[in-house]
Amino acid sequence: MVTKMCAVIIFLVMFALIITDKFERHLVTLGCGAATLIVVFGFCMHSMDAVVETLNVHNIFTLGFWYEAGSASESTGGINWATIIFIVGMMVMVEGMAKAGFFRWLCMAIAKLVHYRTIPIFVTFMIMSSVLAMFIDSITVILFLAAVTVELARLLKFNPVPMVLAEVFCANLGGSATMCGDPPNIIIGTSLGYSFADFITNTGVIAGISLVIVVVFFYFCYRKQLIQSEGSADEKREYPSPASAITNKKDFAVSTVIFLVAVVMLVTHAQTGLTVAFIGLFIAIVTLLFSWKDAGKILKGVDYKTALFFVGLFVVVGGLEQTGILVTIASFIEKISGGNLKLMVAIIIWVSAVASAFIDNIPFAATMIPVIKSLAQTTGADLSVLAWALSMGTDIGGSATPIGASANVVGTSVAAREGYPIGWGTYCKANVPATILVLLISTIFIWLRYC
Amino acid sequence: MSEKQVIISIGREYGSGGHAIAEQIAKNKNLPLYDYNMLQSIADEKEVNVSSFEKYDEIPKIPFVSRTVRGFSNSPEENLAQMQFEFLRKKAESGESFVVVGRCSEMVLKEFDCMIPIFVLGDMEAKIERIMRVREVSREKAMQLIKTHDRMRKSYHNYYCTGKWGDSRNYEMSINSSKIGLEETVKIIEAYIEKR
Repeated sequence: MVTKMCAVIIFLVMFALIITDKFERHLVTLGCGAATLIVVFGFCMHSMDAVVETLNVHNIFTLGFWYEAGSASESTGGINWATIIFIVGMMVMVEGMAKAGFFRWLCMAIAKLVHYRTIPIFVTFMIMSSVLAMFIDSITVILFLAAVTVELARLLKFNPVPMVLAEVFCANLGGSATMCGDPPNIIIGTSLGYSFADFITNTGVIAGISLVIVVVFFYFCYRKQLIQSEGSADEKREYPSPASAITNKKDFAVSTVIFLVAVVMLVTHAQTGLTVAFIGLFIAIVTLLFSWKDAGKILKGVDYKTALFFVGLFVVVGGLEQTGILVTIASFIEKISGGNLKLMVAIIIWVSAVASAFIDNIPFAATMIPVIKSLAQTTGADLSVLAWALSMGTDIGGSATPIGASANVVGTSVAAREGYPIGWGTYCKANVPATILVLLISTIFIWLRYC
Repeated sequence: MSEKQVIISIGREYGSGGHAIAEQIAKNKNLPLYDYNMLQSIADEKEVNVSSFEKYDEIPKIPFVSRTVRGFSNSPEENLAQMQFEFLRKKAESGESFVVVGRCSEMVLKEFDCMIPIFVLGDMEAKIERIMRVREVSREKAMQLIKTHDRMRKSYHNYYCTGKWGDSRNYEMSINSSKIGLEETVKIIEAYIEKR
């Protein structure tokens, strides 16, 4: 009982400290992770095995960690090193791409393709945001997209706020479509052994349908504001050339090829047997080899704090898992749903969504994975159905508020720094209905297809 | 030869007359005064309407509804504060002399030796009287305004700065304007600036 209480208290303190935003979140999770190791596993459980199992280092040195012949899954207990290695690897690749000017070039090329007309830019940028976020972390996607949007807004004299808000929403939506799009999906995929193809044929279909509806929704929400500037688009202006975004042609070509290789490897990883950990490491090494002159700069640009955040987080969640508290939560969901799969799906989607709208969806997803696993075992429900519900709930719920997902924070911040502050009211006005819309689509889709 | 650069940073309690003192010093020394007028300069530079900034000026970031990711914050208050700090740094780096009111300037410009940090405080009774007169409000309202504004300034300041708001160790001079009146306070501050 004392062990459970200590694990829960550490977990709640971690969440509270993350919410207060007083300390950097990696320091919070690392501190709480250390507390879990010392207090929960050391003082309460006197279990060295629990420490070893949670740190999970031995797993890295197994063949299955890098190459899976069958459909073996990553160990769920403790630190999910596959997620961390993959995320860091992709960060290295993205740093290389950004340095070469890839993202700015892509945004400018698309703007040029649609002849710098506001509405077509609005629609194409939403789609581009979703597509890029399927493979690249949404923070990077929004960082570049929002900056170019504000730049174009200044040039074409339109208000960039609606466009940035729609792009943020679509980045989160795109992230939900694939295993590598959003951190909760990477954790779900690696923890439960689902492939890129599993995600794209399930959450990907939901995201695809939702994207079409959301583009129409945002068009009707913002058309008045955007159409006002549409008439003046024919004026003679100096448009920035896409080519000017490329800082180095060779680096640009190399980073584009590496990105395409990464996409192919991810799409085919179920067939090739290469795990996401292998793909992440491989892509990072290739990027660094081809840009060895700038390797130092690229490595410096990698956000190690996020990797450390994950390490601490997995230890704290590992503490909860070891004490069996998550099984209790699963039993509670089972009890209130009466074993009804439809009700379980609805509870997982909507509770995850509401929670993710206000708290970081990564720790929430990491905590919920053992819960849905236990739920599937005890009720006989299909684990994959619960996984898709968790994925859509956490990924989409985060779109509802400015603090729900990292892309929202970065998008609103980029806009504010350029002179367009976005408060909660402005943000939530269109994004809350859009979130509810997609959550409804997800719930109905999962009910119709799987229940 | 150009005159030596001087930056006068004036922190103040609400109702102490710190802003009026800053205005007078700027006028006497023929220096530009930076206060909320910074917003207009920032808005002009960004080609946006200043009205979108006004409600976030010198307001602390709201806890629990703000989040920071990789150095990016969703808080409009924090983003505006950072823009103002950047504005002040650029002005200081350009060699310009000026008077600045609040905005954590004593910390933001700490690296500039020519910056003279001053804090103006006042007796509660004198502050209430001043607010009642200047704002044309009741005594209760004046007390409420003082309480609210000082709480906001303290919270705003202490979030961005290591030193605490109003702590005499952060300033070269802390002066109670209620004891000798605004005019004499201006004279004493100016005398200190001359001597320094």
